[in-house]
Amino acid sequence: MSALLEIDAVTRRFGGLTAVDGFSGVVRRGERVGLIGPNGAGKTTLFNLISGFTPVSSGEIRFDARVMAGMKSFQIARLGVGRTFQNLRIFPNMTVFDNVSVGAIGAAGHSVWKALARNRSAAETVSAGTWAALERTGLTDLAGQLAANLSYGRRKYLEIARALALEPELLILDEPAAGLNDTETAELAGFVEGLNADGTTVLLVEHDMGFVMSLCQRVMVMASGRKIADGTPAEIGRDAQVLEAYLGTEEGT
Amino acid sequence: MSGELSKSFPRLAPLLALGALFVVAPLVLYASGSGYAFRVATTIGVFAILTVSANFITGTTGLLSLGHAAFYGVGAYTAALSATGFGWPFWVTLPFAGLVTALIGILLALPTMRLVSIHFAVATLGLGEIIHVTLLNWVDFTRGPMGIPAIPGIAIPGLFKASDVSNYFAVAVIAAITVFVIHRLTHSYYGNALRALREDDQCAETMGLDIVRLKIEVFAVSCFFAGVAGALWSHTTGYISPNDFRFNESILILAMIVVGGLGSIPGAIVGATLLLALPEVLRPIGDYRMIVVGSVMFLSILFLPRGIFGEVSALDLMRRQFGAAWRRDGRVGWR
Repeated sequence: MSALLEIDAVTRRFGGLTAVDGFSGVVRRGERVGLIGPNGAGKTTLFNLISGFTPVSSGEIRFDARVMAGMKSFQIARLGVGRTFQNLRIFPNMTVFDNVSVGAIGAAGHSVWKALARNRSAAETVSAGTWAALERTGLTDLAGQLAANLSYGRRKYLEIARALALEPELLILDEPAAGLNDTETAELAGFVEGLNADGTTVLLVEHDMGFVMSLCQRVMVMASGRKIADGTPAEIGRDAQVLEAYLGTEEGT
Repeated sequence: MSGELSKSFPRLAPLLALGALFVVAPLVLYASGSGYAFRVATTIGVFAILTVSANFITGTTGLLSLGHAAFYGVGAYTAALSATGFGWPFWVTLPFAGLVTALIGILLALPTMRLVSIHFAVATLGLGEIIHVTLLNWVDFTRGPMGIPAIPGIAIPGLFKASDVSNYFAVAVIAAITVFVIHRLTHSYYGNALRALREDDQCAETMGLDIVRLKIEVFAVSCFFAGVAGALWSHTTGYISPNDFRFNESILILAMIVVGGLGSIPGAIVGATLLLALPEVLRPIGDYRMIVVGSVMFLSILFLPRGIFGEVSALDLMRRQFGAAWRRDGRVGWR
């Protein structure tokens, strides 16, 4: 499997705080990779670095062998990186269809002239991409609803649908199972597995260990900005350093 | 059933709107028997262009512009100076004023493109003041507080002479074109991109939207039509002075679009009509009328915070009735 996302000795400092500290890791095409770690380990910061929200202080991130330094987040998105957010960031005053269409517009590009001329092919590309993403997430019947009226669980799928409308090669999910009950979590795991089977590479952050260990083929563990382990769920479960990071060391007093 | 209906009368609403604008309204105004009614209607038309263009940037895209009246003034002065100085006819000064205003708008707004919310609002407030002070004090060029008199009216030699009626129809035609253009941008997928920018600009960028480019385009379009409205004001009133383009006017425009419904094109038109027609209708009660106008503004915001004709219902109506609806079954789909 070829590398899709390569993170090479990436560091991000905020003033005196080093949120991500020389992190290196690879996500290969077609993989389902989990990123875990205690609160404050720098997982979300790493996601923000990958999607171009924040620039790296040093190091290099490559997507599909292209260096992403200096790219704006919309350019990274158009390369094929779709993401969701830890705290849901849907567009509440827009309908479900219109929310999802934003991803499709991002993929197709937007032009004031084409909109003025009512360019048919541009509009149909957006429309087709939106309906396809709605169908994949089971939101078709809710297309005309205001996003603000959706249940919490549906909003999660709405965010995923919006990212899918970008037709991403890499889908980054930030705590997708947070706030879901066991049934919903199991359903989501099956759904993400289906997306992956259809060819989308998945990288996700999650605190729900059961979810990560059953869904992901490989897990990277982060603590204090550094990567402390990288392996299959079984290997991670045995790793002494991981146990230490989560449970702390035994200290003689 | 309703689907079949809308198929058999796909363009009913636009026809009704055009009929009201070009047939019913002129007849009613004519029946009232005075040029005065036409002048009020002309003012409403100019302000409708202003509110629809201001709503595009402030309501749809969510960038609170407090300098709209200043760009309106740039257009008015461009038209007035080129008409009195070079003798250009209105059909040249109108697009010229629009282009000059768009250009000045982009140049001034470029440094503000990274700003959002209140920061953008204060920056546009500053731009508006700079423009107003320039109009007031660059006496050699703008004649300063004396203003520009004797601006030729809207006439085509050999076809029709300048009159209250010709003014009305010119403003009506330009207002219809403005609404048409802004409608296409607002109710297409492009409008979705703008609303996403309003809801959460950072998130919108993560979805692949070039937000700086969108902001520049919106600013250019909005300023273009503000400039055209200014040119119409110059030609229909014949006299302009810097006082017409002060901060108060920006606030009035803002009040109109908020009362009408932020993000809604019909709302912007309703707001402009209401706040301009009401003082005229209430003229018999004298000075009390401004109290009534103020109360209408206050109560409408209190009871209809999303406006008289809010965005959600406006989007639904406009998409269905004006041929911009998205359909799941049809191959044409949503556009």
